[in-house]
Amino acid sequence: MPTERAIEDYASVAEWAQGLRDQWGGDPLAEEPEKLASLAAFCEFVDMNPDEVLAFCFLRKKASGERFGSQKRREEIAARLREFRDQSGLDAAAARKRVNDVLSFLIHGGVLIHTGMV
Amino acid sequence: MEFKEVLGIRRSIRFFDQERPVEREKIQKILEAMRVASCAVNAHWLRAVVVNREDIPPETMEALKMPVAALVQELAPVHIYCYLDTGIVNRIKGTRLRQLVDVGALAPTHGWSHKFVDEFVYPQVLEPLTQNPAYPIAAAFDCGGAGTQGLLTAVDEGLGVCWTAFNADAAKTLLDIPDDWIPLYVMNVGYSLESREAGGQRPRPEFEELYFEGNARQPFRRDPRVVKDLEKEKLFTPPAPSPNPERMKEIRTMARKLGLPE
Repeated sequence: MPTERAIEDYASVAEWAQGLRDQWGGDPLAEEPEKLASLAAFCEFVDMNPDEVLAFCFLRKKASGERFGSQKRREEIAARLREFRDQSGLDAAAARKRVNDVLSFLIHGGVLIHTGMV
Repeated sequence: MEFKEVLGIRRSIRFFDQERPVEREKIQKILEAMRVASCAVNAHWLRAVVVNREDIPPETMEALKMPVAALVQELAPVHIYCYLDTGIVNRIKGTRLRQLVDVGALAPTHGWSHKFVDEFVYPQVLEPLTQNPAYPIAAAFDCGGAGTQGLLTAVDEGLGVCWTAFNADAAKTLLDIPDDWIPLYVMNVGYSLESREAGGQRPRPEFEELYFEGNARQPFRRDPRVVKDLEKEKLFTPPAPSPNPERMKEIRTMARKLGLPE
């Protein structure tokens, strides 16, 4: 399991939790713990912790060090999400829900990704 | 609906009813409204190609999508791809201006005659204009006006609409687009899943930030009595509050119905 500490202790997860609170009100991660479980399962699937998953979607320009969203990395993550869905063994709706939870994590982390890519 | 109410209730709709097809008659009305728009030199640069989403092959549909607009394109049952036909001015060579002279829209009172069109306006103004790098900007302004008439007609017909960008290369192949058409936007059309207010009228910049009188530094004086009149005429509808828990609830319901991330 790549998440060496509690998943909610990762900065990227704290940012997700805040994004969900700001967007929907309440505390969606506390109210729907399956969201965190979906992310944890994906982290295990790709052998990365949440901060690493998010960081993977971005690169830095060699000259300036400026961070930018990488299309290639985004497509790689989308491909891994498709594998994650297809290998889940869950029914279609449950598998879709798990993928959507991970997409939500990425979207609130500022990644340009959408449901049509997965 | 009254005209100002159409303006007031228009929203960019991003959730469409997947079960409800759009009547062909309504699409034609949208196109007819585009056709009667005001247009410089009566050129009519706008071209629109209507496609039912379900007729687009899946791999082409994927290629057509733009990252932030992908879901709107995916959900809208009808796409109207809009283009600017850059070649039109040099094909018609002033003939539509002559028609305007014939019907009395343009008259000698304002300096217009057939000879003026044939010997001055086309050869000395319009033809050189088409060689100017700024030409597509001027023509695109007209296309925007015509497209907006179509958009508002769709709203008046009870439809939801949203302009988005599209992948021009994929569309060119799919739609067999001529080389001299410039891609503009796609109008995504369908019946809205969103409520009529869709959260309320969107925030806009202050009036005085946008409009001026006399010079570009003097804001146009906004008369509150006019604003009141427009409220009565429904140009202004209740503004979208922030935060907006009711709207968030509505979005969440649609997200869960359509299986979308939150």
